[in-house]
Amino acid sequence: MTKATDIPFAQDSSTFFICWISMLMVFLSVLTLAFALITHTSVENWHKNISGSMTVQIPTFTADGKERGDLVQTDIDAALGILLSTDGVIDAQILSESQMDSLMAPWMGENASTAELPLPKLIDVKINTDQLPDLEQIKADFAEQVPLAVLDSHRLSLAELVTLAQNLTRLTGLILLLMLTSMAFSVIFVTKSGLKVHRQVIALIHMMGAGDFYITRQFANRSGGLALSGGLIGFVLSLPVMTFIAYYLGNLTGGFIIQATLSARQWLLLFTVPLIATLLAYLTAAYTVFSELKRSL
Amino acid sequence: MFEKNKLSSPIAEFNGVSFRYGNGGDVLKDIQLTLQPGSFHFMTGESGAGKTSLLGLLYMNHLPTRGRVRLFGKAVDTLSRAEKSQIRRQIGVVFQDYRLLNHLNAFDNVALPLRIAGVKETEIKRHVSELLTWVGLEKQIRAFPPELSGGEKQRIAIARAVINRPQLLLADEPTGNVDDAMAKRLLYLFLELNKLGTTIVIATHNQNLIKHFKFPQLHLSHGHLEYIATPATRSGNTTEDN
Repeated sequence: MTKATDIPFAQDSSTFFICWISMLMVFLSVLTLAFALITHTSVENWHKNISGSMTVQIPTFTADGKERGDLVQTDIDAALGILLSTDGVIDAQILSESQMDSLMAPWMGENASTAELPLPKLIDVKINTDQLPDLEQIKADFAEQVPLAVLDSHRLSLAELVTLAQNLTRLTGLILLLMLTSMAFSVIFVTKSGLKVHRQVIALIHMMGAGDFYITRQFANRSGGLALSGGLIGFVLSLPVMTFIAYYLGNLTGGFIIQATLSARQWLLLFTVPLIATLLAYLTAAYTVFSELKRSL
Repeated sequence: MFEKNKLSSPIAEFNGVSFRYGNGGDVLKDIQLTLQPGSFHFMTGESGAGKTSLLGLLYMNHLPTRGRVRLFGKAVDTLSRAEKSQIRRQIGVVFQDYRLLNHLNAFDNVALPLRIAGVKETEIKRHVSELLTWVGLEKQIRAFPPELSGGEKQRIAIARAVINRPQLLLADEPTGNVDDAMAKRLLYLFLELNKLGTTIVIATHNQNLIKHFKFPQLHLSHGHLEYIATPATRSGNTTEDN
C-alpha cells in the first residue's frame, strides 16, 4: 500500500512556489556562474598574454622611405629616458639584432638577418602589473619628445580588462549570494505559511506522539523535493540559453577576448547548483519548522 | 492481537487541578483524580460540564491553570517536548469529531500512530488490516474519510486510537454515531484492551452502555468531579472522589 505524507501538502498550493523559485534561481544562478567561469578562464588566458611587458617601436625609415640615420638612436635614448623615469616601469631595453632575428625567425627562417630590412627598432618594456604605468602620460611625453615612437599598448588595455573582469567575477559571487539568500527567505515564507495552513494536522500528529523531528522531516523532505524538481528544470532550461550566449560571444569576439567554453570540472560545478538549491531548501525548511515548533505548546 | 501491559504506578494523577480557557471562568474546579493502571471509567455529565476539557488535560492538549497533573508518574508541566511526545505515544484518543485526515485512506489513517512510532511497514500492514477487519471495515480499507459514513469514520477513529495498544485510552463519545449493536461490539474491543492492562476513560451520554457494562463513573457537574462507584467495580479501579 502506498504511503502518503501525513501532512496534506498537495492541498496547499503555496508549497509549489518553492519549485518555481528554485527553477528561477537555479536558471539564473547557472547562467551567472557560467558567466563567472567563462570570465575566469578568459582572464587566465589574458594574463598569459600580458606577461608584464609592452613594446615601443622606433621607426628606422621616414614615411616617404628615407633612412633616419642618427635620429633613430636619439629617439631611442629619449624614449628610454621617458620610460625609465615613469612609475610602474621596471625596465626598458632595446632589442639587439640577434633578438630581432629570433623574433622574425618564424617568418624569415633561422639563418635570415633583419639588418637589411626596414624594420623599426623595438624597446622591450617590463611593467609592474600591480601598479600599471600611466599610459596617457607616456603617450603625451612621446608626442612631445619622440613623436615618431609607437607605443604598443594593447597589453596595457588588456591588463585593465583583466582588472575589470576580476571585479565582474567578484560581483557575480555577490549576485549568487543574493540569489541564494532570496531563495532561503522564500522557503522560510512558504514554510511558515505551510505551518499555519496545516496547524490542525500538525497538532493531531503531535498529539499522537510525533516528535518535532518527525514533523520537521516531512516539511524538509517536501521542500527539498520541490527544490530539486524545480532546480533540475531550471538547470535544463539554462543549457540552451548558455549555448546561445556562447555562440553569440564566440561570433562577437572571434574567440579572442572571450573563450566561451567550459571544462568538465566547470560543468560539474554548474551541476552542483540545483543540488545546492535542494540542500538550501531542505535545511532552511528544517530550521524554520524546528524553531517554530519549539515555540508551540 | 495485543500483549498485556505491566504498569504499577498510577497512570494519571490530578491534584487540585483547575482549568479555564483564556480569561473565562473555571471549566474544571479543584479536581482530585487518580487513574490506576487497568481501570475502566465512564465519564459522564451534561454538555459543557467539562468532559472534553478533562480529556484534553489527560492527553496534554492543555496545561492546568492551577494544580498539578502527573501522567505516568511525571508532572506534565516539567516535561520536555521529547518527553511529551514519548508519553503521548502511550495514549490513544478517540475524538468526538473523529479528526481523521481526509487526504489519507482508511488504512493510512489507522497506520499513522504506528508510523509515528517507527514500526516496520510489514508489521503495519498486518496489524492495520487485522484491526480494520475486526471493526468491519475490511472493504473500506482504501476508502477516504469523505467517502465514509459517520459510523465508519468513528470506527476508523477508534481503530487508530487502539492500533498502537496504548497504556491509556481516552474516548470522547466513541459510540455516538453507531447503532447499539456496533456500540457494544466496540465496547468489547475496549474491554479486550482493558483486560490486557490498558486504562480506559470513555466520555459518553449513552445510558444503555453505562447500564450494560457497569463500570464506575467519573461524573462532572459544573466543573466538579464526582466519583460514582458501581456494584461491578473491578479491583483495578481506585478513583478518588472530589
